[in-house]
Amino acid sequence: MAQAEIPYQEAMPLHDPHSWVTKYWYSQDHKVIAVQYGITAMAVGLLALVLSWIMRLQIGWPGVFGIEPALYYQSFTMHGMIMVIYLLTAFLLGSFGNYLVPLMLGARDMVFPFVNMISYHVYLLSVIILLAGYFVPGGVTGAGWTLYPPQAILTGTPGADWGIASMLLSLAVFIVAFTMGGLNYVTTILQARTRGMTLMRMPLSIWGIFAATVLGLLAFPALFVSAVMMLLDNFVGTSFFMPAISSALEGGMAGGMIEGTDAYEGGSPLLFQHLFWFFGHPEVYIVALPAFGVVSDLISVHARKNIFGYRLMVWAIVAIGVLSFIVWAHHMYVAGMHPYFGFFFATTTLVIAVPTAIKVYNWTLTLWRANIRFTVPMLFAIAFVITFVVGGLTGLFLGNVIVDVPLSDTYFVVAHFHMVMGVAPILVIFGGIYHWYPKITGRMLNDTLGRLHFWFTFLGTYAIYFPMHYLGFVGVPRRYYDHGTTSAFYPESAQFLDKGISVAAFIVGAAQFLFIANLVVSYFRGKPAGDNPWEATSLEWRTPQTPPVHGNWGDKLPTVHRWAYDFSVPGAEQDFIPQDVPREGADGKPQEKGAVAS
Amino acid sequence: MASAAGHATIIRDWGSDVTTFKGVPWGKAMMWIFLLSDTFIFSCFLTAYMTVRTTTAEPWPNASEVFSLTVLGQSVPLLLIAIMTFDLITSSGTMAMAVNYGYRRDKKKAVRLILATAFFGFVFVSMQAFEWYKLISEGVRPFKNNWGAEQFGACFFMITGFHGLHVSAGVAYLLIIAHRVHKGKYDHTNYEIIEIVGLYWHFVDLVWVFIFAFFYLW
Amino acid sequence: MAVAIFLLIIVVGSVVFTFWSPWWFSEIASNWGGIDTTVLITFWVCGAVFVAIGVFMAYCTWKYRHREGARADYQPENARLEWWLTVITTIGVVAMLAPGLIVWDDYVNPPDEALEFEVLSQQWTWKFRFPGADGVLGTVDVANLSLDNPFGMREDDPAGEDDVLVNSAEVHLPIGQPFKVLLRSRDVLHDFFVPEFRAKMDSVPGMVTYFWFTPTKIGQYQIICAELCGMSHHTMRGWVHVDTEEDFAAWFANQPTWAEMRDGVTRKVYTALAQRGRQVAESSGCLACHTLDGTKVVGPTWQGLWGGEQTLADGSKVMVDEAYVIESVREPNAKVVEGFAPGTMITYGADVVSDDDLEALIAFLREDAAP
Repeated sequence: MAQAEIPYQEAMPLHDPHSWVTKYWYSQDHKVIAVQYGITAMAVGLLALVLSWIMRLQIGWPGVFGIEPALYYQSFTMHGMIMVIYLLTAFLLGSFGNYLVPLMLGARDMVFPFVNMISYHVYLLSVIILLAGYFVPGGVTGAGWTLYPPQAILTGTPGADWGIASMLLSLAVFIVAFTMGGLNYVTTILQARTRGMTLMRMPLSIWGIFAATVLGLLAFPALFVSAVMMLLDNFVGTSFFMPAISSALEGGMAGGMIEGTDAYEGGSPLLFQHLFWFFGHPEVYIVALPAFGVVSDLISVHARKNIFGYRLMVWAIVAIGVLSFIVWAHHMYVAGMHPYFGFFFATTTLVIAVPTAIKVYNWTLTLWRANIRFTVPMLFAIAFVITFVVGGLTGLFLGNVIVDVPLSDTYFVVAHFHMVMGVAPILVIFGGIYHWYPKITGRMLNDTLGRLHFWFTFLGTYAIYFPMHYLGFVGVPRRYYDHGTTSAFYPESAQFLDKGISVAAFIVGAAQFLFIANLVVSYFRGKPAGDNPWEATSLEWRTPQTPPVHGNWGDKLPTVHRWAYDFSVPGAEQDFIPQDVPREGADGKPQEKGAVAS
Repeated sequence: MASAAGHATIIRDWGSDVTTFKGVPWGKAMMWIFLLSDTFIFSCFLTAYMTVRTTTAEPWPNASEVFSLTVLGQSVPLLLIAIMTFDLITSSGTMAMAVNYGYRRDKKKAVRLILATAFFGFVFVSMQAFEWYKLISEGVRPFKNNWGAEQFGACFFMITGFHGLHVSAGVAYLLIIAHRVHKGKYDHTNYEIIEIVGLYWHFVDLVWVFIFAFFYLW
Repeated sequence: MAVAIFLLIIVVGSVVFTFWSPWWFSEIASNWGGIDTTVLITFWVCGAVFVAIGVFMAYCTWKYRHREGARADYQPENARLEWWLTVITTIGVVAMLAPGLIVWDDYVNPPDEALEFEVLSQQWTWKFRFPGADGVLGTVDVANLSLDNPFGMREDDPAGEDDVLVNSAEVHLPIGQPFKVLLRSRDVLHDFFVPEFRAKMDSVPGMVTYFWFTPTKIGQYQIICAELCGMSHHTMRGWVHVDTEEDFAAWFANQPTWAEMRDGVTRKVYTALAQRGRQVAESSGCLACHTLDGTKVVGPTWQGLWGGEQTLADGSKVMVDEAYVIESVREPNAKVVEGFAPGTMITYGADVVSDDDLEALIAFLREDAAP
């Protein structure tokens, strides 16, 4: 193949930092921006952790700790939104995406570093607006992270005026931030790869980030639009989502702010739900796909074996991405939409299980006849697979329309989505941090602390969420401040179970401080890592310096000669061959099989 | 099996190294992707509007009566809208010419045509402001009007307002680019920046066609 | 090693937990045994996959752990194996989906012999309406809703005259009779859910939703709200009593029709001042949190309030008189009743509830809420 010219790439102008501020605050270096995203997301994630403790205190020992209904409702709302948007999305795309895309592709930086820098600062602004909700009259919204109207903007819900406003505004600002970052990731992946880096040689991390970003760019608009419309309903007195209702609690802000607004009339609450879930379901995969990608790479590197069925893995990511746009109404089986939608959405939802199952098979088949090194990242990767299997399989319950009827809005749902898009992606985030921390800082994380952190987190979360499914079978409804003690659906044994779950939650939460401590201490005291401590093949481990400097590659960009999974190639000297090693340099013979497009 | 071979070629070209879209500058690729995302925003707005319109209990106001201008004592339906649409389509024409002159490296003409496009855009926004003023003075509010379903005003102000913001932003963008082209900031390039701003402008124009069809003709 | 052992423990533990834990569906009390069957099919298919994958991973992590000098296989893909796995997965998916869709088809198509009744949900209680002798529910308008017209019946629709109104959160149903449940909400989203019936559906303001079921077991079953509906979502309970035909008929005969309710058969007569106080209570939002029928929602009920004693959070008791009521409106947190959270009620200043209004309200309490 002729060596293509890379005019833009090679001569890309870089704005080197001149002071502390331009190096660490207004930095245009994708690696610094990635760390900024990561630290902010983790900080706001700690808040979400504390909020979950508040919830578990109340659920385990109702009334004992003096937690009022409003605080409980506000806590689960903020916990949900922070975890889904401001932690998981921001971390997997903002942090992993920013760090890995240019490095794994052999680029000097994102294509538009300035826009990338702004993206982080707008994200920070959205976090500030979100947290400002705690300081407005009425506090943050307690409408549940789904923010369903009419309830979300009526005074029977905490924070129905200013709290919901800060939430919606923050979401709109977040979407702007995401769009700026996302355009960069997609354009970089499409147009700024190095020589030899064909699409089918990209590591699966990049495929996951790429697909997720495209989903985000197409799905977030629906959330943006619904946020705008709900803000108008609340503050201008429009009735997009508001039918005529008779409530002593009607009124909200609209009545006071604009003269002459009359009652709500003729709007459609279901419209909001459709818009919300048109965003909300792809959002699940915006979180899951980067996790799929990253975990594929972790498993392959630490099992010293190529990922099994790379081509199918790529097509599965693409298929999941496409299908995720036509399954949204499976969140609305009992929402009162036309019942015949149930047939369609149940079918599409169960179809999406096929590519997802293929991914699981391929992860496990990668372990077959491997040479597994049980490093901390590998432990998290294996924990991810089994957690994801549980979460994915329970998804088949909820996706199958009639099975969803008794289980929807019960703790079964809570357990399912925590397993599949809470715990599973977070295990990958942890695994990814243990994996790439040496590259980011040049030092290893402490292994003992890492293992302790792993066992507490993995076994603890399983202990929290596995039994929780069975509360759902009993019929315990979610989002209840107090289940009462005499109910048939909440027997004494269930109260006992809830206490146990709460205790597990406190332990898991506390274990996260081991992780934080590890991050901080190892930054100063960690063992020096060297350039490639895991003996991995992808390009980020081939930078001339560790940590990589601004511009990543020195004078010349690397040239890619093979896919990212040449582990344990028969006849090769070492059990790994990096992507930029020329063919004849290692085994001397071209690969016959595999997904390597030449 | 010519088709199978063709299919394989497409995949190979797409998946080849460095760039997926050959010869497409980064900025242009990014603008295309942004516009794809923006398409979804407008689609959601319009879908929401159609849903609201079909589910509301009250009758929807008659567009040809509401959007009419009285000229010489006679009510002409959609007169203003027709002029606005014509104006915007004309601006797309001048934009396309600007792109063309840019690639021919005729800087002077290109800048003049960009300025003309911005002018048409400004005229469009002004006429839209007039239309808003007229409707507001007739008692249309986001939460009520005198002819029927209250969502009429809500959808109208929201969607045309959002589109108007796009046009206003486009005018500002055009003026900045005209200034920078004039200053010679892009002399070392192919002037593809004019095509990039042109893409945005045509998109805004295209969206208007849909708003026109769904709002004024339905 | 540890990984393999713990993976095995998780797989075995999960299976053991499933069989030995007490938490499972309550005994079914409706015709929806088909739902349980579908859940079980899904459960067994998914359970088998879970065990298979878990055991396979445990085996691999034990057998292929890193050893000095060992090397992994090099095997990019195996098209045949992947093809087979895809086919088997597809078969499993169809095995779950097909019965599910068949039962769903049943769920959304009520039988012809089903009778209708309506559930009216509101923050935070339930009400019920049966068609009268004509078998037709009268039309309603949300604008008509008031204390005297709790269902928002339209005056101009004769079909509504004989509708039987159950103005409380307890309803009786005869065993063996299929019912199509029509759901309506007067304010926000709610969800009518009786775990023993397995069936549920949201009620959405501005539209009527439905589902159907046949009660098959005599007993009483709690109704819970399964869609977040604001501060007191968790208190939104009710009861369904499944009776024999005769018991149901006896109960049904005692319920007022709309005509009876409207024409004052069941209506209390108030003095003019108390009548105004009643309107104040309704329009100021008091009744959203304080009930008149003894149900506990966000705030203490007003039933039997006047002249009695309230136990406060600190254990002391207070006489409910004019001074207490005025204080509770103007400074709600000064004295908080036992079992209720301080800070729940907002302060009603004179700009919202004037002194005149407050006087009228007290007159209403005196007449309505005396024990």
